[in-house]
Amino acid sequence: MTTPAAELVGVSQRFGSFTAVDSIDLQIPRGRLTTLLGPSGCGKTTTLRMLAGYSAPTSGRILIDGDDATRLPPEKRNLGMVFQSYALFPHMTVADNVAYGPKMRKVPAAERRRRAGEALELVGLAHLADRKPKQLSGGQQQRVALARAIAIRPRLLLLDEPLSNLDARLRVQMRAEIRRIQSETGLTVVLVTHDQDEALEMSDEMVLMRSGKIVQSGAPRDVFPAPADRFVAEFLGYENFLTLADGRQAAVRPEHLRVLPADTSAATSADGGIVLDAVVLDVAYRGVDLLVTLEATDPAGNAVRLLADHRADTATGPTPSAGDRVRLLAPEARLAHLSADSTAAPTAPTTAPTASTAPTEGIS
Amino acid sequence: MSAVMSRTARLRHPVAGTLAVAGYVVMIVPILFVVATAFTAGSTLRFPPDGLSLRWFGEAVAYTPFMEAVVSSLQLAVLATGLALLLGVPVTLAIHRGKIPGKGLLEGLFLSPLVVPELVVGLALYQQLMIGLRLDNFTTLLLGHTALLLPYAVRVTGASLALADPALEEAARGLGASPLRAFVTVTLPMLRPGLISAGLLGFVTSFNNVPLSLLLQTRDFRTLPVTMLDYVQQSYDPMVAAASTLVLAATVVVAIVAERTVGFAKIFGGINR
Ligand SMILES: Nc1ncnc2c1ncn2[C@@H]1O[C@H](COP(=O)(O)OP(=O)(O)OP(=O)(O)O)[C@@H](O)[C@H]1O
Ligand SMILES: [Mg+2]
Repeated sequence: MTTPAAELVGVSQRFGSFTAVDSIDLQIPRGRLTTLLGPSGCGKTTTLRMLAGYSAPTSGRILIDGDDATRLPPEKRNLGMVFQSYALFPHMTVADNVAYGPKMRKVPAAERRRRAGEALELVGLAHLADRKPKQLSGGQQQRVALARAIAIRPRLLLLDEPLSNLDARLRVQMRAEIRRIQSETGLTVVLVTHDQDEALEMSDEMVLMRSGKIVQSGAPRDVFPAPADRFVAEFLGYENFLTLADGRQAAVRPEHLRVLPADTSAATSADGGIVLDAVVLDVAYRGVDLLVTLEATDPAGNAVRLLADHRADTATGPTPSAGDRVRLLAPEARLAHLSADSTAAPTAPTTAPTASTAPTEGIS
Repeated sequence: MSAVMSRTARLRHPVAGTLAVAGYVVMIVPILFVVATAFTAGSTLRFPPDGLSLRWFGEAVAYTPFMEAVVSSLQLAVLATGLALLLGVPVTLAIHRGKIPGKGLLEGLFLSPLVVPELVVGLALYQQLMIGLRLDNFTTLLLGHTALLLPYAVRVTGASLALADPALEEAARGLGASPLRAFVTVTLPMLRPGLISAGLLGFVTSFNNVPLSLLLQTRDFRTLPVTMLDYVQQSYDPMVAAASTLVLAATVVVAIVAERTVGFAKIFGGINR
């Protein structure tokens, strides 16, 4: 295995008595796009800033290309950072902004210009080279910031919520754009976001953080169907939480909860799913589907409120309406077994009887 | 932004509007009187002037004490302004960008000359520096004026810096600039309007200062305002009005240059943080 592009070893950051980042271990795989995902205030920016060298960790070590960089100032790290505010130099033209890095590296003027042109070409802004940053739209400024970071041929490209200042459509376009740039350049990218869709769509590797700790990491395809705990499940859009007969906690997404007629035989659950009797409380029309709110008793005997997406075109049985008694099916393959302990493996069985009081943290 | 708002508010509000006009009248009319009397052909300071001539301008320019005082005042103002900026900019950087504890205290300390009466400062300087340390009068005046201008330097350059995104310097560092190069290539250009504003404001404040200069003057080093004050106490001819008019004209030229280079809105916007 090759050395990771960067590695954090037991890294903490304390501000006074407050611990913003709490002893995290993280490896950034080379040539991949890694996202740091988590709710506001969980320490994503703080982690990125320590990686970039803007603040020294209170404890722990930072390795870049396998070398200790913990005390290296930012100008010696050769990392390309894109700030949330873009931080374009307002007194310089777009071209000069992009050529700034090469200039600081004493690259001759002609070569500088060529590299700046190349980087601007990559982000599709070569025609705006002579403008000042103020004369650009938010999306264009963002691309310039990207070009400026790429022009130094960085060892890592660090992006702090690069899309959060853009409008919804542009944001979705830029996701693909950043992925394209990443694969064209083969750069190692670390992207901070609090948007789970963005992380799922863009990441090779996603790292979920909460209160300064890493809760779970892995490829989106591995993380999404198997959230480690209730926090991750909620963050990824799981709405329904059940306590199983053996005391384990499980989560299921509204689109995977099937609403069936009350007389459906329990045999339907031959595939090993859970069947619950439920009462429909409310049905909301949402165009593509109906959002059905139900009250049910989970296998452990607790009353729970559940949400189910009922798609008229694919679902079998009659359309539910408020007051109906129905049967709910949660297929086994769609059940995400949760651990009460954030650090445990996703499928580790939990015997703790307190599982039903798993922490619920506000997510933004 | 607030300047624009208060301007429109002033225009809309009749009482505020009247007060504003009254304010301008109170400020400008006396100046007009002085300028008018400076052009008199007569030999007393009187309005309306007796006839029209440039005679008193000639006299003022030929009057050695005035001309010597102009040179002294210019020397003092330029040096004090330079010193105040040289000291003030690092202080501003420390306040706005530094990671030092007690920033509030530091800021308070450097703004204090604005609230301590100048006569008190002057007296303190007189006792400590001239009597106590036996510094000569020019050095003492220079130190006094520098202290007087420091708050302007800190405040006005600070306003420029507060407007600039701190991530700019970080971006420069990340792109490979040493702290010094980041300062020269990014921070300093951001500070430019603040530096020009603070410089002009400092220069004018020092050039026109009376209380400190009055307390710390000696026979061989006198500033222009003090010399003019002395002169008025002895004689009442229009030469003083002519000298004042010349100073006024110079100030207007400076103001125009300032407007052309950074713009008044920026200069004074910088002060009302
Ligand atoms: N310089 C600082 N001094 C004190 N506390 C800080 C400082 N910087 C960050 N914090 C605190 O550390 C915690 C983590 O901050 P950080 O900026 O890393 O969060 P984040 O995950 O990037 O959040 P967001 O999504 O809102 O940007 C927050 O509670 C924040 O208030
Ligand atoms: Mg952040």
